[in-house]
Amino acid sequence: MSLLEVNDVYSGYGKVEVLFGISFKIEPGKSLGIVGPNGVGKSTLLKTIVGEIQPKSGAISLNGIEILGKGPEDIVRLGLCLVPEGRQIFGGLSVAENLQLGLTGRQDKSTSKKALDKVKEIFPVLTSHAKHQAGMLSGGQQQQLAIARALIADPKILLLDEPSLGLSPTVIKDVFDQLKSIISNGTSVIIVEQRAHLVTSFADETLIMRNGKIQARITPEDAKDELKLKHAYFGSDN
Amino acid sequence: MIQAILDAISLGGTYALAALGLGLVFGVMRLVNFAHAELITISAYILVVTNDLPLLVSFIIAAVVTTLLAVAMELLIYRRLRGTGPAIMLIASFGLSVLLQRVYELIFGALPKSAAIAPWMSGEVKVAGASVTISSIATVVITIVILLIAGYLIERTSLGLQLRAAAIDFKTARLLGVRSNRLIAAAFAISGVLAAIVGFIVVVENPQVSPMYGVNITILALVGIVIGGISSLRGSALGGFMVGVILSLLNTFLGNARVYAYSWLFLLVLIILLVRPGGIMSKANEMERV
Repeated sequence: MSLLEVNDVYSGYGKVEVLFGISFKIEPGKSLGIVGPNGVGKSTLLKTIVGEIQPKSGAISLNGIEILGKGPEDIVRLGLCLVPEGRQIFGGLSVAENLQLGLTGRQDKSTSKKALDKVKEIFPVLTSHAKHQAGMLSGGQQQQLAIARALIADPKILLLDEPSLGLSPTVIKDVFDQLKSIISNGTSVIIVEQRAHLVTSFADETLIMRNGKIQARITPEDAKDELKLKHAYFGSDN
Repeated sequence: MIQAILDAISLGGTYALAALGLGLVFGVMRLVNFAHAELITISAYILVVTNDLPLLVSFIIAAVVTTLLAVAMELLIYRRLRGTGPAIMLIASFGLSVLLQRVYELIFGALPKSAAIAPWMSGEVKVAGASVTISSIATVVITIVILLIAGYLIERTSLGLQLRAAAIDFKTARLLGVRSNRLIAAAFAISGVLAAIVGFIVVVENPQVSPMYGVNITILALVGIVIGGISSLRGSALGGFMVGVILSLLNTFLGNARVYAYSWLFLLVLIILLVRPGGIMSKANEMERV
C-alpha cells in the first residue's frame, strides 16, 4: 500500500474538464515532481487531491483511506497538507499567529510546542520575526513561513504549488535545501512547478503533464538527457 | 456636556456591537446578513413580552432565543445555499429579513409592542456635578465589558484566531484544518448573542418594538463595517463605534437642524471612503509585500 494513490482521476470546474485519467503513487519519505507548461492542470490536480475540487470520477487514497469526497479540513487531519500557490500566508496576522494556525489541523495536540520548536529550528528566521506582521516578510521568508505552517500539522505528505514563484535563485536554493531536510525526516513531498529543471534533478520521480494527462514519467537520470526532457515537456513536434 | 459624551459613547458602543456581529458573519461567509436586524428585533420583542419576569431571566430567555434563531438561519438557509454565489446569498438574506418581519407581524401584531423595561434605568445620578441618566452609564459599562470580552475572544483564543484568519482568507484557513461548518455556526451564535445584547440596550431606551425595529441600527452598523474595513473584525467594531459617536454628536449639536444629521453622517462617510476606499483599517493589507 502506497502513502498516496491517485487512480484514474477525471476532474475540472463545472462542465469544463481539465484532468483526464491521472494516476500515480508516492511512497513514504519520497519526493515527486509534477511539471508542465501553464494551464495543463497541475494546480487543478493539487486542488482535487486536497479536496477543494471534487473529481468527476476516479479514486484517491491516503494511507489506504479513501479521501474522495472529504473536505480540505478533514484531509489535513489525515496527514496531507498543501502549501498553496502564492504562499497565501495571512498577511494581516503576525508570524507567530500564522504558525499557531498551523496547529489547527494537527491531530496530536500534546506535542504542539515541540512541533513549533522544531519548525523554528528548520526556519530560524521565523523566530526573530515572530511578532512581525507576516505581510511584511520578504517573498522568501513568506515561503518559509508557508512551509513551516504546513509542517506544524505534522503531515505525512506535503504538497507544494509553485514554491519558486517570485523568488530569487539564491532563495529558491535555500527553500529546496530545506525541503531536502524535510524529506530526510520521513515526510513525502510533491512539488508542482512550471520550471522543470528545478524539480527533475531534485525529485525521485517527475511526472510531465500536458493537456490534463501525464505524458511522461522521468527520473533524475533521464533528466540529464536534455533533448528527452524537452520532448517530454513540449511534445515530440518541438 | 457629560451627558452628550456619555450618549455618544453609548450609541457608538451599541453600533460597535451590532457591527461586530455583522462583521463576524461577513468574515467567515462574505455574507451581508440583512436578517441580523431581525435578531435584534426578536431580542427586543422577547424582553417586552417577558417583562413581568426578573430582568436577568428575561434577558437570558431573549439571548437564548436570539442565538437559536441565528444558528437556525445558518443551518436551515445559508448552509444550503453556500457556494451558490454572493448575489444569491445576499438576496436570500434580504428575503429572510422580510419574511421574519412578516412572521413577527403575525405573532406580535403590526402595532408597536411596548413595556417599561428596567424603569429604574431612566433615573438620573450626579456625575462631576452634572445629571446623567443611569441608562447611559449602564450602556457605556455594558458595551465596554462586552467589547472587552469580544476582544479577548477574538484576539486571545484559538477560535478568535480562526475567525480572524477566515475573515482574511477562508479557503486557506480550511486548508489548515479550520472546520468550516463549525466555525460558521460559531460565528452565527456569537453574532446572535451580540444581537441579543444590542436588542437589550436599545429597548431600554426605546421600548416601542415593531417588526422593523432592528433595521435602522443594522443599516448604520453596515455603514460602520464599510468605513472600518470590511475584512477586519477590529475595523468593523471601530467603524460601528465611529458611526454611533458621529450620529450622537450630530444629534446633540445640530439643535433644530438635527433632521439633517443623517445627511451630514453620510457626507462624512463618503469623505472617509474617498480618502480610504478600503476602510480605516485597510492600511495593514495595503502594506503587504508580495
